[in-house]
Amino acid sequence: MEQTFALGEYGKHLWTRDLARKIRVRVVEGLAELAPGDVLVIDAQGVEVFDFSFANELFGKLLLELPKDHSGRFVIVEHLTAYTRENLAKALESLGLVIIERKGKKLEMLGKAHTVDQQTFNVIAQAKESITAAELKEKLGINLNAMNERLTKLTGLGLVRREKTVSGAGREQYEYRVLS
Amino acid sequence: MAKLDARTFDDFLRRDNPFVTAGPCVFDLRGVTFVSPAALVQLTAACHAIHQRGQTPVIAIEDSSVRSYLLRAAFFSALEGVADIQPSLVKPWNRIYDHMRGSNPMLIEVTKIESGAALPSLLDQVVDVLRFRLKYRKNDAFDVATAVSELSQNTFDHNQNTCGFLAMQVYGKGAKRFLEIAVADHGCGLAATLGRNPKNPRALSDVEAIKEAIKPGVSEHDDPTRGTGLYHLLEITYKHEGSVQIRSGSGIARYRMDRKMGWYLSVPPMPGVQVALTLPSKAA
Repeated sequence: MEQTFALGEYGKHLWTRDLARKIRVRVVEGLAELAPGDVLVIDAQGVEVFDFSFANELFGKLLLELPKDHSGRFVIVEHLTAYTRENLAKALESLGLVIIERKGKKLEMLGKAHTVDQQTFNVIAQAKESITAAELKEKLGINLNAMNERLTKLTGLGLVRREKTVSGAGREQYEYRVLS
Repeated sequence: MAKLDARTFDDFLRRDNPFVTAGPCVFDLRGVTFVSPAALVQLTAACHAIHQRGQTPVIAIEDSSVRSYLLRAAFFSALEGVADIQPSLVKPWNRIYDHMRGSNPMLIEVTKIESGAALPSLLDQVVDVLRFRLKYRKNDAFDVATAVSELSQNTFDHNQNTCGFLAMQVYGKGAKRFLEIAVADHGCGLAATLGRNPKNPRALSDVEAIKEAIKPGVSEHDDPTRGTGLYHLLEITYKHEGSVQIRSGSGIARYRMDRKMGWYLSVPPMPGVQVALTLPSKAA
C-alpha cells in the first residue's frame, strides 16, 4: 500500500524546526497506519523552500527513527525542486542519512550515498522482481560477503526491503527489492 | 559619536558598561544621528538583560529625527515597560507608527522573537526584498532567508526566559544598495550554551566559543540534526560576498567574505549572542 502526505498543504515556504515538529507528528501518525512493506510518499509538490532546521527535524529525525519505530516501512519523497533537493541532500549528508527520491518512475538515493551503495540500489531498483544476493553479486561482479555487507547497510537504512523466501531447491533464502 | 552601528556599539558600551559597573544604567544616545539595525537589536537586548536583573535602564535621546526613526523602527515599542526614554514619550505617541508596521518592504522593525511563530512572515519579507530590491536570484534569496531563519531560531532554542530580536533595513540605491539584518538575544552566550554539551571542548573563552560554533555539527544539543546555523551563515555570506559579525559575551568575530578574512577581538562584555549580516546588491 502507498500513502501520500501532501507537504505542500503546509505552505510553499516551510520555515523553522517548530513547524517541522508539528508536521512530523502528522507524518508519524500516517506511518503508524502502514504495515511493513508499505510506502509513505512525502509529496513536496508546491514547496519552494525549507530551511535546514526544517529538513533536519522532519526528514532527518523521521529517517533516524524509521528503522527503530516503523521497521519495514518505506519513506520516500517526490516532486522536489532543484533547491529543496539541494537543501535536503545537504541536511541528510550532514546526518549520514539517505532517502529515496522518486522522479517519475525512477527511484534515486538522496543524501549521503556512497557510490557502491548507489550502484547496488540502482540494480535492485531496476530489477523487475525481487532479487537474491547471489544474483546481485553476479550482476555487480563482487563476492558474496561484500554483497551481503552492502545489502545489510541498505536494509538498515530503510532503503531496501528484505524478505525470506524458499528457493526452487527448497532452501531458505533472502530476496531484496526496493519498494513493494 | 554620530553613528551607532555594529562596530561603534562596542565603543558606546565601553564608555560606561552596565554589565561591568554597578549603579544606575543610562544609555546616552545624545549626539547620535544614525542607528543601524544591528545597534537597534543589540541595545534592545541589552535593555532587556538589565531589566531582567531588576533595573530599569534609561535611554537618553534628544535628536527629534532620530527619535522619530526609533519610533518608526518600533525600538521604543520593544522597550515598553523595560526602559525609560528621556525625554519621556507621551502615550499614545510612543506607538504612533504601529499601524505602519510591516508596510515598508525595505524595513523590518525591531521584532521580538519568542518562538518560530513570528518568523515565516519576516523570512518571506527577507526573500522578497532580496529578490526584488537587491536583485538576488530566487534560490540565493532562499539561502539567505534560511541562514536568518537558523539564527533566529537559535535565540529561543538555546535560551530560557529570554528572547531574541530581529531588525532589517535596506540602504542606498542601485548597485550601491545593501541590506543589513541583525538578530540579537540576551541569553547565556555561545560559551555557556556549547559548554552544556559534554562533547564540546570545556571552558571556552568567548572568542574560542565563536570559533567552535561556526564549525558544522557543533551545538549545545547532543543531536546530529543540530549545529548548522552559524556554519551555513558563513557559507552563504561568503557566497554573496557580504560581511558578518558574530558577538557573544566579550568576544567578537568579524568576517569580510569579499576578502575571505576574519578578525577575532575582545569587546566589552554583554549577555547573549548578537549577529549582524550585511549583503550587497546584485544590481549591476
